[in-house]
Amino acid sequence: MLQQDHYKQSVYKTPFHERTSALNILNEWARWKDYTVATNYFATDLEYFAVRNTTGVIDYTPMVKQKITGPDAAEFVNRFFTRDMNKISIGRVGYVVWCDEQGQVLDDGTVFHIRENEYWLLCVERQLDNLGIAAIGFDVKIEEITDEVACLGVQGPTSCSILKAMGFEGIEHLKPFDIKHYDFQGQEIMISRTGFSGDLGYEVCMVNEVALNFWDDLFDKGEIYGIHPFGLDALDLVRIEAGLLVPGQDFMVAEDAIRPGSTRSPFELGLSWLVDLSKPVFNGRQALLEEKKRGSRYTFVKLNVNGNKPAEGSYLYNQSGKKIGNVTSAMFSPSAKANIAFASLHDPWKKGKDKIVAEIYYQKDLEWNKVMEEATIVTKPFFDPDRKRTTPAELY
Amino acid sequence: MMTRKNKNIAIIGGGHNGLICGSYLAKAGFKVDLYEARSDIGGMASTRELADGYKVPGAAHLLHQIDSGIQKSLKLKQHGLSYAASGLKTVSINPKGNALIFDDDNISGDDITLREQDQYKEFKVNMKGLSGFFKKTYQSRPPRLGSEDRKDLTGLMSLGWNLRTMGKDSMRNMLKFIAVNIHDVLNEYFEHEHIKGSIALDALLGNRLGPRTNNSVITYLHQLTGDLNGVQGSYAIPKGGMNSYTQALQKAAESAGVTVHLNSPIKQIDLDDENKVKGLILENGETVQADIVVSGIDPRSTFMCLVGPKYLEPGVVHKISNIRMRGNTSKLHLALSGLPVFKGVEPDDLGHRIINAPTMKYLELAHDFTKYGQYSDELPMEIIIPSIHDDTLAPKGRHVLSAIVNNTAYHLKDGWDDSKPKILENCLNQLENMAPGIKKLIVHAELLSPVDFENEYGITGGHWHHGELTFDQFLMLRPISGMAQYTSPIESLYLCGAGSHPGGGLMGLAGRNAANEIISRES
Repeated sequence: MLQQDHYKQSVYKTPFHERTSALNILNEWARWKDYTVATNYFATDLEYFAVRNTTGVIDYTPMVKQKITGPDAAEFVNRFFTRDMNKISIGRVGYVVWCDEQGQVLDDGTVFHIRENEYWLLCVERQLDNLGIAAIGFDVKIEEITDEVACLGVQGPTSCSILKAMGFEGIEHLKPFDIKHYDFQGQEIMISRTGFSGDLGYEVCMVNEVALNFWDDLFDKGEIYGIHPFGLDALDLVRIEAGLLVPGQDFMVAEDAIRPGSTRSPFELGLSWLVDLSKPVFNGRQALLEEKKRGSRYTFVKLNVNGNKPAEGSYLYNQSGKKIGNVTSAMFSPSAKANIAFASLHDPWKKGKDKIVAEIYYQKDLEWNKVMEEATIVTKPFFDPDRKRTTPAELY
Repeated sequence: MMTRKNKNIAIIGGGHNGLICGSYLAKAGFKVDLYEARSDIGGMASTRELADGYKVPGAAHLLHQIDSGIQKSLKLKQHGLSYAASGLKTVSINPKGNALIFDDDNISGDDITLREQDQYKEFKVNMKGLSGFFKKTYQSRPPRLGSEDRKDLTGLMSLGWNLRTMGKDSMRNMLKFIAVNIHDVLNEYFEHEHIKGSIALDALLGNRLGPRTNNSVITYLHQLTGDLNGVQGSYAIPKGGMNSYTQALQKAAESAGVTVHLNSPIKQIDLDDENKVKGLILENGETVQADIVVSGIDPRSTFMCLVGPKYLEPGVVHKISNIRMRGNTSKLHLALSGLPVFKGVEPDDLGHRIINAPTMKYLELAHDFTKYGQYSDELPMEIIIPSIHDDTLAPKGRHVLSAIVNNTAYHLKDGWDDSKPKILENCLNQLENMAPGIKKLIVHAELLSPVDFENEYGITGGHWHHGELTFDQFLMLRPISGMAQYTSPIESLYLCGAGSHPGGGLMGLAGRNAANEIISRES
């Protein structure tokens, strides 16, 4: 966020920077919403395995955070998001998408129902403008608190054990998407059983002042549980395995799209379960009702691709060589031992009838090679361990 | 099965559009109830008691652009509409006392040359050609863009066809003029400053524009679309006061079966759990059931006040709150003890339409003040003395003067409470200069501001046209994109007022087009 003298430093350090920079032996950084965050600390694959086998910690302070408060807050969020927000009770978190008037997805994120008349929205794109427009006629206050709240993702099988060792009593009883507030050195911190890894994991929000102390305590207690930091590259791997979308990669943010056909509705992203058309009003409802009648243009699928070459950015064809879509995210999954991908399919693809063939390019000693690999549709997440759901959480 | 016979329609607002819409709906077999907040019918086409024995038109003071199709099919003549005067000339005065007279396509006075007379004829022929294009589009609902509906596609095709069949010259003129301003267009045709000022006023009256503002060609062509007795752009004064027009409409409506409820302000449009129309809730708490609600009041009031933003998608609320509807027009009413004498105006011409717009620069300067929330000492005016034609408006030998005063912004920096006495004083001084001695004749004077119009008639911003008539609020974009066909996001709630295509004025086409749309959708 812009402050006075902002021109002297246009990209900010997160409250954890002192620690993350010491650990970032590769010195690899990316700019995420005006903050510097590590892309890799020591090795992407080792960071990935830390998340999958022990615990990985990611600094996700740059995640945009908006606070919605006021007597009309519940009514407001119910009209802003496509799903029935009344089902997200106090102390719970919900995954949400929201649309523009044409029913095209603006962004996705998580809503924290913190207390009565108070919600936090965490997402990728800044939403003050959209939230502000939607607030006309509602008694709500909307603030962006991105800079005031430091956030860590603590993800992996041993994450619960570490937080318990830090003294957060009863942390194992948190169900997925539960929120609990704790005291940490005299400050209230918020721990939720949420995350982007598809595994057991927690997210911790705290005031900036305690950020470094929290980090130190976390890594101190976590040492014997195999704690490691992980960067954005490893995050991208775990989230594909978990089947989670990223705006700007798996779909165009509707506001940023230049071509009308390049945006997606929730139905076209496989997110029908997040749309409650029985609600009388929410942004995009009219358009989504029409889409329901008319049929969608795109189908989102998860693919298991033959071979071991990631189908990054691949064009997809049917058996007669007609283009039927393209891949939005792809990787070789070490955990699923499969070549996996997300794809957006369109006409003339016919569900259940047409084959899907990926055109994959890969390099061997500077020389490009091409293979055509068949792919099959997968309906479940590629990585979905029971411990993600088990409550009380297992203490490894 | 539900047939139109047993569908109840409630219409909000007894202005001319509401009455016309109701008449057509009742004729088609619907049961129609019309609710008017005020104690008499007519909305902005009504008569107002100015002082004991003196009556003036409340807002609109000339009949203009009344659609002849509506006049005929609603049999307004039989229902009592007659003219005290018609085919009025326009008498444009200037400080030097040189009046310029516009009589249909002829001009005379103020050292007009034969060449300028020809120029004017040529100008009128060209402009009528262009407004003919609008006129055709005004007769039906505007097509939706991007729709695959057959009616929309043929609508779009006929738009294109109408443009094509205008002929090469007109089409070229249309493309050349539509996006520019009346200042540039008039400079292309004329040198005579007084002619240009007089014509430019027609583009600006009722709007928040200066001659150099874009969109002022559209507003000019818009006011040319109407005809009265077959004469395009002609003016008349109805017999018995302005409300005799709306009273004739009321009789037409009632004879078609419409029940009119006066003194019935609406508090809320009643919606069910699925946000479908259930009926109306009146200010007095009474509820009325209705299968269909049609709103004749402005779109902003309809959606922001009667429906409420919570029941609409945020995108719709955003667009509705961004409709430009900043009123800019006031009314000056005078009760006079005798006839005034205007400098340079022959006594025979006093009963005609007198305008004060000597040059385009004069108009542009007045607009400059408007832009910054101020007001000029020199305001453009359209003045009539209807009592010359109609002795029911004032005691014998006495008169009333009604003037539309432009460039009095809704948002004034100093607020209307403080500014109103000063503006009234300015107007009277201006009139004294135009008609020396008029001040001594004044029995009573009042100025109604855009704020007064908002309070009296419930129009947001006090804008006479329920939203500025500009290219971005025109055709399929009026009142907002997605609502152009008199429909709304609330099921069974329709719009029939001037905020919808084709917009303001007394023509009543919004009311009739809306009725046609409702009949075709709800039967």
